[in-house]
Amino acid sequence: MIKIKNLHAAIDGKDILKGIDLAIPAGEVHAIMGPNGSGKSTLSYVLAGRDGYDVSDGAVDFNGEDLLAMGPEERAAAGLFLAFQYPVEIPGVQMSNFLKTALNAVRRQRGEAELDALDFLKLVKTKMKELGIKDEMLKRPVNVGASGGEKKRNEVLQMAILEPKFAVLDETDSGLDIDALKVVAEGVNSLRSPERSFLVITHYQRLLDYIKPDVVHVLAGGRIIKTGGPELAHELEEKGYAEFVGEAA
Amino acid sequence: MTAAAQNPLIFPEKNRYKPETGERFAALFKADLALQDGPAWLKALRYSALTGLERRGLPTARLERWKYTNFASIVDQFTAAPVPADLREVDPDNLVERLVDNLSNPQEWLEEILSEQDENMARYGDMMLWDLNSLFLKDGLVVDVPAGKAVDKAVEVNFSISDGTAAMPRLVIRLGEGAELSLIERHNAIGKSWHNGVTQIIVGPNARLRHYRIQDSHPEAVHSQNTAVRLMRDASYESFTLTTGAGMSRNQIHAFIEDTNAACHIKGINLLRGSQHADTTAEIEHRAGHGTSSQLMRSVITDQAHGVFQGKVLVHKDAQKTDGTQLSNALLLSEGAEMDTKPELEIYADDVKCAHGATTGQLEDDPLFYLRSRGLSENEARLLLIQAFVDEVVDGLGDESVQQSVSAKVEQWLTEQN
Repeated sequence: MIKIKNLHAAIDGKDILKGIDLAIPAGEVHAIMGPNGSGKSTLSYVLAGRDGYDVSDGAVDFNGEDLLAMGPEERAAAGLFLAFQYPVEIPGVQMSNFLKTALNAVRRQRGEAELDALDFLKLVKTKMKELGIKDEMLKRPVNVGASGGEKKRNEVLQMAILEPKFAVLDETDSGLDIDALKVVAEGVNSLRSPERSFLVITHYQRLLDYIKPDVVHVLAGGRIIKTGGPELAHELEEKGYAEFVGEAA
Repeated sequence: MTAAAQNPLIFPEKNRYKPETGERFAALFKADLALQDGPAWLKALRYSALTGLERRGLPTARLERWKYTNFASIVDQFTAAPVPADLREVDPDNLVERLVDNLSNPQEWLEEILSEQDENMARYGDMMLWDLNSLFLKDGLVVDVPAGKAVDKAVEVNFSISDGTAAMPRLVIRLGEGAELSLIERHNAIGKSWHNGVTQIIVGPNARLRHYRIQDSHPEAVHSQNTAVRLMRDASYESFTLTTGAGMSRNQIHAFIEDTNAACHIKGINLLRGSQHADTTAEIEHRAGHGTSSQLMRSVITDQAHGVFQGKVLVHKDAQKTDGTQLSNALLLSEGAEMDTKPELEIYADDVKCAHGATTGQLEDDPLFYLRSRGLSENEARLLLIQAFVDEVVDGLGDESVQQSVSAKVEQWLTEQN
């Protein structure tokens, strides 16, 4: 699905990613755990194509295509999705309009027919029901005045509608209480399939009790310092980052 | 005390006016014998306007109220006498009369209001364009809605001014007690023309006027408009102006809340490009208590265009419990785009709620990236965000047909940017 090779990235002249190597085959869920400042969010933004990051070395192959050469919208059309750690509030843009515009923009780029208002509404309401999102959300401006939990649910809703091949969840658990966390995790789990891969970025092991990863990576100082099975997350939780990172280095 | 303060003649104040800029029009007036004829009140009005014009000329940037908009030189090209504007109205209830039919023998109220000076402009010594309109006062419309009449269907007036000409239309609108009216003005002046309009409005007790203007004149046209509104007890005046047209425009509104519990809401959207210059100057004067007023401007400016918003809320000592807000937001889409904002509050009452704010900025990176990460092209994302920026004003417009035509116009404008 995605192969990241020796990825180096800097922001404002400061090196953040210092050689990431990571390959995620189709159908697998990988988790990246790491302390604050280890480069977790930078990795997610570089993959999604945000401006301001200087990729000085390395390559990312996404299903045979050069991901780093594509604009953010082309990456979305190619099947990449980033669930934001801090979803952006957009006053004046209604959620329904946003979702429909996004879906049809992606469908157009994928060479699929656009959905009309009725078909779109049917689709979005089904997905919203599954995620326990009330219909009134459609009339609200995107993320404006929404709680942390509502915003994260909206992210998963967008993912469910856009049906990506590969989704990066950037700290989707932060700020969620346990009930919201379960709903979000169930939403993600329902999208798991042999054709779809996930990269779950988190600070805490807790999320991984609900979204069971196949592989866990530990990111520190801009490098992946250890890779293992799900048990690695528990080990990390018990020892704490400081000790763990110290040992590994 | 200094010598200068004792004797102002030692250092006389520099003349802020440029009288010579009015000479051309004074001469055109003097050459037109028909204009110098007429009933005594009309002669008095025109000659007082002539005196004003000869003393002050046309507005230049030397005047504080015109510091962002240097007007006089723009209209140098108009050397012929003003001609009547081509006014076409849609008037389902037969409310509209031609001013020209009323001038020789007007009803008392009409004579009175036509003879009035906008007090506010007089205070600032800024009645030049009004005077010019009075000097050539001839054509225009009178809309008099009797007490208790709620007009269902909007009155529409289409203004058209031909290339190379100047027109000075006057509108007088009166709503009797409890009357209701929606008035839609569409301005589509052609070529290098000049509209110098004056509109005088009285909204009677408990009456309600919704006043929409869609100004989409030719990019070389000049559009200056003075509107004076008086609001009586419990009256409501809502105005909305969409400015997409004219190379140079000054839209000036003065509202006077004369009696208690009146509401005045002034909204506008400016979409400016090329080398357009659009100035909105609004002043709401609260002379009585429990009044509500708001000013809301949204401007989208690109290329080398220049927007100006000067807004003022003046609250007199007796106007307690006044609630006044004022907000101007501008979005600059290019390096050369410019916005000047001057929000002012002048408050003499002690129990009021007044707020003002102004922002000028560019589209933010975070929402743009968020939308692009969901598959929208940069262009689509920008359009969606700009649309959202102006929609807040469009959404609250009340009249559905106006809302639709404004939305369509906004969409068209945005599409043309690409």
